[in-house]
Amino acid sequence: MKRREFFKDASLLAAAAAYGDVVGKPPVPSCPVTLLAMPDYGRDLSREIAAVMTADGLVLKGKKVLLKPNFVEAHPARPINTNIAVIAGVAHACLRLGAAEVVVGEASGHRRDPWFSVLNPSLRAILDKKVRCVDLNHGDAVAVANRGRRTGLPTFYVARPVVEADVLISLPKMKTHHWMGVTLSLKNLFGALPGIYYGWPKNLLHLKGIDNSILDLAGSVPVHYAIVDGVVGMEGDGPIMGTAKPVGALVLSPFALAADATAARLMGFDPGMVSYLARAGRFMPGLGAGQIVLRGENPKRFATRFACPNIFKAMQGGPFF
Amino acid sequence: MGGFPDSLLQVYNTLVPQPPASEFAVLTDKLLSFSRPDGGLPYYRGNSSSAEPTLLAALALFAVGAPEASSKPPLSFLRSLQNLDGSICVDAGKRDQGLWLTAPAAIAFHRLGLKDNLKNALDFILSVRSLTALNDPRLKQDNTLTGWPWVRGTFGWVEPTAWSVIALSLGGLGEHARTLEGRKLLLDRQIPSGGWNYGNPSLYDKELLPFWDTTGLALVALKDNSGAASLDRSLDLLDESQDKIESLRGLAWAVLGLQCHGRDTTKLRKRLLTVMKSMPEPEIDTANFSLGLIALSGKKVFAA
Repeated sequence: MKRREFFKDASLLAAAAAYGDVVGKPPVPSCPVTLLAMPDYGRDLSREIAAVMTADGLVLKGKKVLLKPNFVEAHPARPINTNIAVIAGVAHACLRLGAAEVVVGEASGHRRDPWFSVLNPSLRAILDKKVRCVDLNHGDAVAVANRGRRTGLPTFYVARPVVEADVLISLPKMKTHHWMGVTLSLKNLFGALPGIYYGWPKNLLHLKGIDNSILDLAGSVPVHYAIVDGVVGMEGDGPIMGTAKPVGALVLSPFALAADATAARLMGFDPGMVSYLARAGRFMPGLGAGQIVLRGENPKRFATRFACPNIFKAMQGGPFF
Repeated sequence: MGGFPDSLLQVYNTLVPQPPASEFAVLTDKLLSFSRPDGGLPYYRGNSSSAEPTLLAALALFAVGAPEASSKPPLSFLRSLQNLDGSICVDAGKRDQGLWLTAPAAIAFHRLGLKDNLKNALDFILSVRSLTALNDPRLKQDNTLTGWPWVRGTFGWVEPTAWSVIALSLGGLGEHARTLEGRKLLLDRQIPSGGWNYGNPSLYDKELLPFWDTTGLALVALKDNSGAASLDRSLDLLDESQDKIESLRGLAWAVLGLQCHGRDTTKLRKRLLTVMKSMPEPEIDTANFSLGLIALSGKKVFAA
């Protein structure tokens, strides 16, 4: 019921729901994607983020919001994880918009120790006391039917706080990925699955096909909003071993695929050539540039070309803007 | 009600001062305050009882010499999670999930004298094999070695393999071919400059970062390889990194790994005690808290 109420509140998301339900010629909704300039992590953009969310029809008043950042590993010199300033900016934007509860939750993919993830003192120190941080690796999970069945897995065991949230906001880092080309808000859903069920790493999802797993999760665990941390991304041998790539932007959208496709274009990747994004475009709106309405800063200001392993160079193209 | 028999409580180094009994009592009470009516413990307050925090709590109670009756409810809960094939599941509602928990549960069964449960668990552990693969030149490791997976039908990783090696060794199967191969896998996955990541030592010629918890756990599992030059690199790394380790989990495993190889852990134990005493309640993961108690006790819980 809560999910339904949420969708009712957000007309744009209702259009997305319709897109998936209609057989035959589905209407192609216009997917707003907003680019916010954030040259460094010293800025507090919570006010701007709240304004964009409002413009996008995201209604948070009285809602339970779960922010899902990307914490994989901690390395002092590599921008592997969603920066804590971005997490704080989004959390505080949600509070501004009247969210009843804001939780930052992550099931880190490589590290069991939550000190290296959402229970790190540096994150807690900059968050409003009303924001809770939850280690999703260790705790209750709910069996959620796999609506995709590409992996052959009948269910996903999804961390309970994710299932119980009214609104799930995916907060990935803008990174290359040495198996998939890019990793963004859809791939970030792996972190909704507790390690006590899937291990460290979530090897089962790898063996079932990373792209299949991403798509099955995308069809089974709705992402209501995506904000890609592209302030400093990672190029080269991402998502762990790459190097910093400053882009200076946040990419915001109520359509996860539209956010990912736009972020990919900013990175110099043609999303239609990234296998899992192209396949997601068959059942989610936002892949094609024609479906996207860009707002905010001019994308040319941020568009670049991320270095990547040779095998993915064929995925790159452009200029896209 | 008396504590566990003294003969079961072997101490690593009696010269290392233990925290005062009163501090143990406070920490133990804090741990027990997480107990749920079903006898189990959750990872974090507000969650359901789960196998790992419950079995580690039982081991912690054993380690600190708590009254034997105090471990009965967690043990009863743990036994209820054992399937007919000997495996342990995450919780009663998901009986096919969490086979990796069978190995740490076997350690609890061993320490607390549940022989039938132990035998069934060990049989199950021996029935599980990780996937193997052809060697890949990008990964400087031997993919043909068999260890233990987190999930059936997947590859072997450091933590489930280390738990299985420890359980089999304590269960009298330290020289079993699977145990020996498990140790070989752990040695193979050691990062050349010391320590363990979650699984691979390097990728594309770049070493991965060592993790404190998997490093400590692997060192416990490789106790019988003590003295091997390659292990010294990992022991030295942990020794030299003591000031960098800040988390409860990292400190607990660093103490456990170093002390079972006879290294001095006095400083680490002091910091571990401080962290445990000051930890905000919402952040207490009872599994890690139990590991902390076991580490502070100085008792040989995971080593023969």
